[in-house]
Amino acid sequence: MNVSLFQDHDSWLHRLDPRTKMIGAIILFAIILSFNHPLFMAGISLGILAAAFSARSLSALWKLRYILVLLVAFSSILWPFFSEGPTTIWYWKFLKVSRESLLFGIAMGLRLAAFVMTSLILLATTRNEDMTNGLIKMKLPYPVAFALSTALRLVPTFAGAGATIVQAQVSRGLDLESKNIVSRFGTLIPLAVPMFVSAIRYTNLLAMALESRGFTPDSPRTLYYEPTMGRRDWATLAALALILVVSLYLRLGLGVGVVMPGRM
Amino acid sequence: MPASVSIESLSFAYRNAGTRVLKDLSAQIEEGTFIALMGHSGAGKSTLCCAMNGLVPRFFRGNYDGRVTVEGKKVTKCGIVELSKMVGLVLQDFEAQLFSTNVELEIAFGPENQMLSREIIRERIDRYLSFVGLEGERHRDSSTLSGGQKQRLAIGSVLAMEPRVLVMDEPVTDLDPKGREAILSISGRLRDQKRTLVVVDNEYENIIKADRIWLMKEGEIVAQDSSASILSNAPLLESCGVMAPPTVSLFHAMSWPGSPFTFEDAKSLLKEGNLVTRREKSGFEECHSPRKGNPLLEARDLSFQYPGSLVLSLRNINLVIHEGEFVAILGENGSGKTTLAKHLNGLLTPVSGEMLVESRPTRAYRKPELARQVGYVFQNPDHQIFAPSVREEVGFGLKIRGEKPGIIEENVGRALAATGLEGYEDKSPFLLARGERERVAVASVLAVKPRVIILDEPTTGLDYAHQLETMRMLKSLNEEGHIIIIITHAMWIAESFATRTIVMRQGEIITDGPTRRVFADERGLSETSLVPSALVRLSNWLGTASLTVEGMVKELQS
Repeated sequence: MNVSLFQDHDSWLHRLDPRTKMIGAIILFAIILSFNHPLFMAGISLGILAAAFSARSLSALWKLRYILVLLVAFSSILWPFFSEGPTTIWYWKFLKVSRESLLFGIAMGLRLAAFVMTSLILLATTRNEDMTNGLIKMKLPYPVAFALSTALRLVPTFAGAGATIVQAQVSRGLDLESKNIVSRFGTLIPLAVPMFVSAIRYTNLLAMALESRGFTPDSPRTLYYEPTMGRRDWATLAALALILVVSLYLRLGLGVGVVMPGRM
Repeated sequence: MPASVSIESLSFAYRNAGTRVLKDLSAQIEEGTFIALMGHSGAGKSTLCCAMNGLVPRFFRGNYDGRVTVEGKKVTKCGIVELSKMVGLVLQDFEAQLFSTNVELEIAFGPENQMLSREIIRERIDRYLSFVGLEGERHRDSSTLSGGQKQRLAIGSVLAMEPRVLVMDEPVTDLDPKGREAILSISGRLRDQKRTLVVVDNEYENIIKADRIWLMKEGEIVAQDSSASILSNAPLLESCGVMAPPTVSLFHAMSWPGSPFTFEDAKSLLKEGNLVTRREKSGFEECHSPRKGNPLLEARDLSFQYPGSLVLSLRNINLVIHEGEFVAILGENGSGKTTLAKHLNGLLTPVSGEMLVESRPTRAYRKPELARQVGYVFQNPDHQIFAPSVREEVGFGLKIRGEKPGIIEENVGRALAATGLEGYEDKSPFLLARGERERVAVASVLAVKPRVIILDEPTTGLDYAHQLETMRMLKSLNEEGHIIIIITHAMWIAESFATRTIVMRQGEIITDGPTRRVFADERGLSETSLVPSALVRLSNWLGTASLTVEGMVKELQS
């Protein structure tokens, strides 16, 4: 089973320095937060999709399509009830939906999707080790960087172990198909205990393996894939920074791209 | 010759454990020799390995006495990086040893920690990838490699640190014959390069090339001698829970001179001494075709494809399994053995074709209902153990079925008796030894009294005595009327216990028939890279019908 998101292609995004990609993602987050008009959000989302396409990462997004669709759907349905705008288009007792709140909901849905897509593209185009190396180069303490990347690395392993545990218990008669909430609650312990035990065993073995390979968390080491900032990296960061400045000017200076002024 | 590793009156007890795992060990390894470590489980083999590279006592703490020196340096005084240049350790579990996202980074990891320059690291990657035969996989994601490739990568990644001594703890146990072959040829090449090599392995076939064997028992080295003299001493091996080469046992039982442990040696000894006349191969089919009861499991044109996969994992499987059969499924990793077995109890349902249990398709059953008919014991018992006591663990299947406490008690008692676990009722299953945990897993399936019991590699991780115990238990369950189906890589297990053998390759059944007939066809087996054990090849050559030492002796003496 392969749940890892990274895909080893050779695209301009893959070739960028991991630092560029991480800082770039943060700038992109700020751009996403600059507007709350659905059309602007749609434009940004399309831009992100185009980047994903050019990096051949659409299949990584496709893996999590349900989550993306759910985010947009839930947020578009729920937000309108919790925010108020001047033009009411529908009401029932205390529930009220306005044109602005409806648009705002859609914008929020797209915003969440844009966040998720940006992070997915980052993970799909950046090797785990490169992420660690980038963080180290940005002067993050090595143990912290390593802990972060190990956590990412362990997700697929634990997902695999979880699937096996479910199968092992089902073949002993554990009933996961039951509709009864009470009996389903009883299924938690037979699944959770082996999960914890195997996680502990695994991490212990991993620690052993790391030590036998001469790894000590706080001493310096060579980085075989040493990230280097090239002209492309600076150009990418400059372009993103420029877009951010323009976005902020549009939003704060001209008040464009807003359906709900005063909200982020 | 200078001593490369020197162990001087070493004792060790794990923290919070009363007894010592290593008791006053003293031994020396000369530079450039290949040492094999054998012994029952719990004899202290792994602890000794860890003591050589300092994981004991640095990582596993406890009471440490005596000393281990590598080329004159005490391992307890060395730093982690310094030690990695002295002793490299390859663990049995290859999954946990690989943590990088591609093959070359995995090799680079150790040298990176040793602060070597990028140019040197690149050279080492080139050198050691070709040494372990993975040069074509340089940029592959290591999690997509096969088991054998993973273990080779693990070895390569330790070798890349260029340690003076390489220690491998059961490097081939989890591998199929093809994977084993590759690892053994690596250790052969290391031996040719005169590297100091320490390998833990309880199967004599894997360590025939060793210069010396250390035989361990209860924390002590009870014998250290040349491999020829240790392997020909069957009583000594068996007293340490290690399987003696069956050909040696056969020669002793027949009072033939010599103690051969390969088929070729045995054959030439028999020819030279003119000790025996070969028989016509006849009657294999009649005297060994298994008794057949009613058909219980049936696959019709079954095909299966994992979602997202491009190839079929199973192709047009047709199979009928009758009451009373004891079936072994053999084949390489990825040949579809486990996928097929998971169809038998409905964990997977076919993409096309039918899987019938008692003439009813598995998809028509509810899963818990099917679990009562077909029990499945997973490879790793730790994937299912969760209860605070053995009694609750074993009674779990009955409890969720809503059985009365009296019936649960009775069935649990019976299952524990059948697995030799009486008296364990109130113990915590987590604190048992691996072999005992395996038996708890079998008992917990058995308690539900399924008519079919499927076991995925029931003997890996067990020593010979426990393997024998587990297999005898399965045999007696089979005699009581349960259908037993095992997936295994151990040829001798299939040879001595199964009545029927199924060989799979690339999702298809290649051979299916009575075990004796399947193992008579050595050429057919070699196409799937399976090699029968030396004893069975000898039996084929002699033309005897039996596949066990006792049976062959009986036939040859009549």
